[in-house]
Amino acid sequence: MLISLLQAIASGVVTGCAYALVALSLVMIYKSTDVINFGGGEMVMIGGYLAMFALLAIGLPYAGAFVFAAVVAFMVGAAFDRVVLDRMLGRALPGQSVLVAMVIATVGLSYVLKGLVRVVPYTEEVRRLAPLFAGDPVFLGPIILQRQDIAIVVIAVLLMRAWWAFFNFTLLGKALRATSQNPRAAALIGIPVRAMRMTIWGIAAIFAAMAGILLGPKLLMTPDMGSVVILAFAAAIVGGFHNLPGCILGGVVLGVVQNLVGLYISSRAIVLTPFVVIMLVLVLRPQGLFGGAVVTKKV
Amino acid sequence: MQPLFQIRDVSLQFGGLRALNGFSMEVAQGSIHALIGPNGAGKSSVFNCISRFYTPSGGDIVFDGHSLLREPAHRISAIGIARTFQNIELLRRLTVLENILIGMTQRINAYFPFAPGARRNAAERNAVRDADALLERLELASYRNVPAEDLDFGHQKLVDLARALASRPRMLLLDEPAAGLRNREIATIDALLVDLARRQGITVVLVEHVMQLVMAVADRITVLNFGEKIAEGAPERIRADPKVIEAYLGTAGDA
Amino acid sequence: MYGSPSYARLAPLLALVVIGIVLPPLVPQYFLSLGNTLMMYAILAVGLDLLLGWAGQFAFAHIAFYGVGVYGTVLLQSKLGIPFIPGVLIAAALAGLIAFLIAVAAIRLHSVYLALATFAFAESAQWVFNSWEGLTGGADGLRIAPPSVLGWTTGTDARAFPVIAIILALVIGATMYLTRSRLGRSLCAVRDSEHAAAVSGIDVFRTRIWAFVISGTYAGVAGGTFALFQSFVNPEAFGFSQIVLVLSMVVVGGLGTLPGPLIGAVLLGLLPEIMRTAMRGLFVWQELVYGLILILSMMFMPRGIWGLIAARGGRSK
Repeated sequence: MLISLLQAIASGVVTGCAYALVALSLVMIYKSTDVINFGGGEMVMIGGYLAMFALLAIGLPYAGAFVFAAVVAFMVGAAFDRVVLDRMLGRALPGQSVLVAMVIATVGLSYVLKGLVRVVPYTEEVRRLAPLFAGDPVFLGPIILQRQDIAIVVIAVLLMRAWWAFFNFTLLGKALRATSQNPRAAALIGIPVRAMRMTIWGIAAIFAAMAGILLGPKLLMTPDMGSVVILAFAAAIVGGFHNLPGCILGGVVLGVVQNLVGLYISSRAIVLTPFVVIMLVLVLRPQGLFGGAVVTKKV
Repeated sequence: MQPLFQIRDVSLQFGGLRALNGFSMEVAQGSIHALIGPNGAGKSSVFNCISRFYTPSGGDIVFDGHSLLREPAHRISAIGIARTFQNIELLRRLTVLENILIGMTQRINAYFPFAPGARRNAAERNAVRDADALLERLELASYRNVPAEDLDFGHQKLVDLARALASRPRMLLLDEPAAGLRNREIATIDALLVDLARRQGITVVLVEHVMQLVMAVADRITVLNFGEKIAEGAPERIRADPKVIEAYLGTAGDA
Repeated sequence: MYGSPSYARLAPLLALVVIGIVLPPLVPQYFLSLGNTLMMYAILAVGLDLLLGWAGQFAFAHIAFYGVGVYGTVLLQSKLGIPFIPGVLIAAALAGLIAFLIAVAAIRLHSVYLALATFAFAESAQWVFNSWEGLTGGADGLRIAPPSVLGWTTGTDARAFPVIAIILALVIGATMYLTRSRLGRSLCAVRDSEHAAAVSGIDVFRTRIWAFVISGTYAGVAGGTFALFQSFVNPEAFGFSQIVLVLSMVVVGGLGTLPGPLIGAVLLGLLPEIMRTAMRGLFVWQELVYGLILILSMMFMPRGIWGLIAARGGRSK
């Protein structure tokens, strides 16, 4: 009994790390543009397919597949901001909010990506991405982990570390952070806000795509696999949506809770977990579980 | 004589931050009372307490013998207090006329939408007639059917004011009415305030940074700094008060 | 402009009723079926627009209330023998009641948070429809016996068509009254600025709750019309793609207007039909086309088709 609990927690942490990457992607975009990206799940999905394409069609090694997927995902995210959102903001009258329109456009993005993937080869049949490392599972005491699981945790943690260092120690990272905290002030001190926003969209797309590659071998690859995004939304909500470290923790919490629900309640209820978490957290503690005040608008 | 409006020892806290600290103020019926102070002194917090957007942690706010703290935000208008906003809070997509009608909400009774036509239509017709008269008076009549978001800044401020006046308030709270306006427009506001207070007997509480306006119209001035009252009195006295000068100069003030 | 709508403005509704009665014998069954679907979507879209466009509440739970309307009407009829008219009224009231509870629970949430909370509710509701097999038949679905409306048995597209036309006319008429009332104006005020609304004497919470209740009730009525011309229902009709479809109808047509969602319902309701019939080879491209329509319409007409028409005509609404 204890062993199955430990096992559930361990595999929850593994998938939770991948959810955390997607949650980071969502929160990055939200913090810098106020937009909730409903296309986030499809960015995960194209990450998986790009890697599959690189492995199968181009014949790249796995490392190459990561780079290929990252580059293409960056271009997709950045292009969406430059071609669509930037123009919408540019067209808006001063003071007029185009936020709803921008959010709907991200729904459009999700359909476009899904639609594109459906018409390219490799998608008619359901596939599974090859695992990153083949080989026997690893025993950690009584817990069994696949090598892929360890790869997921290691790569996710490395990505988050790299991202943290980038934001805190590089000039570009600091400029990005300033832009997402206060675009108007950033513009005043000469930061090219539009280019920064585009970069954030690109980086956010990379994070989602990386999660797609990591989850690819664990989930079935279908054009609809973007629905995992709901777990990332729940993770972000648990973390407070403004709070980047919070959403990483939120991802892990979600992964674990999902497995515990499967273990103790019913496997049918697993899919319901993120929705219930979202509703409970928002109704009972809208600022998220991990501190942070509710932001009130100044009048 | 009992003052029309009293703020008694009000304190307001956001987490660990103390926005108002034992603040008191009295406003006489029919006067123009200015509330000034450096940025962040707590002036808008005072207004937001009166509007019941914030609830003070201590003290009381009393209008004509009633404590406002017992009322929800939407009842304040019916009690007789209207206000404008610093960063204009317009009903952007509604027309100028509709903005005024929103200000008259308390006077249009039919809440339920499917009320029988005749009575509701009569209430609406009366409201529209009054709104048109108000627009005429503020020289906004030619913009009657223009969406508020299409107006220039000066006219938007005027619409915000007109919406507040439409409820026929006994007391009007104006949050920086002159900010961002040109001199000619400030002169209009100046004349309008004097007209409201002297001829129509509306009590005016004014938060303002444009000292030229404050000194010209105010009967009495209260100075706020770091959430506390540092001076109060007639304009000439405030102008000469060393504490006030220090508060403004010490913060590289806007005076 | 406010007050009761004039008879001239109500005239198109009479025309809709007349068309509903005259048309069925004259056109092929396929078009009637399409017409029924479009009219049902029109009711859904008009109801969602009251919440999203008029009251500015970014909420996604609409499709769940629609589901309550469908299952409510069908089950009241099959399990309790309640005829269509009281059945649909009870089901719509139930949808409104659930909307009320959602509104009260979510009253402090705005924008993203409201969107996600209501979206989560809609997905949970679909899960309930799927799992409550004793009532809904689960994923296998539920057969719908043809309802009888005052002795007029529907069930075929031709016989349902006039009934749905009358319901749509009533819904549009009610919306005209509503949007031209003080409550309608209050909805807009709450959308544009809760602060300005509150200091003008509008009870913001109460107004937002009304918006949810009215919108939920409309969705319940739309659900009732579903039972008039469909013979089968399963939970797939209440999934995310349906949420997005109705949302797109409102947004592409024009938020916060009455003609907008009607135009949107017709255009986007026809789209899958056109792609399925006229452009058979292009069917796999459906999602792509649909996504592009959403993106392009948001880029080039953020106020929707009706917003564009109204701006050209120099009218504010």
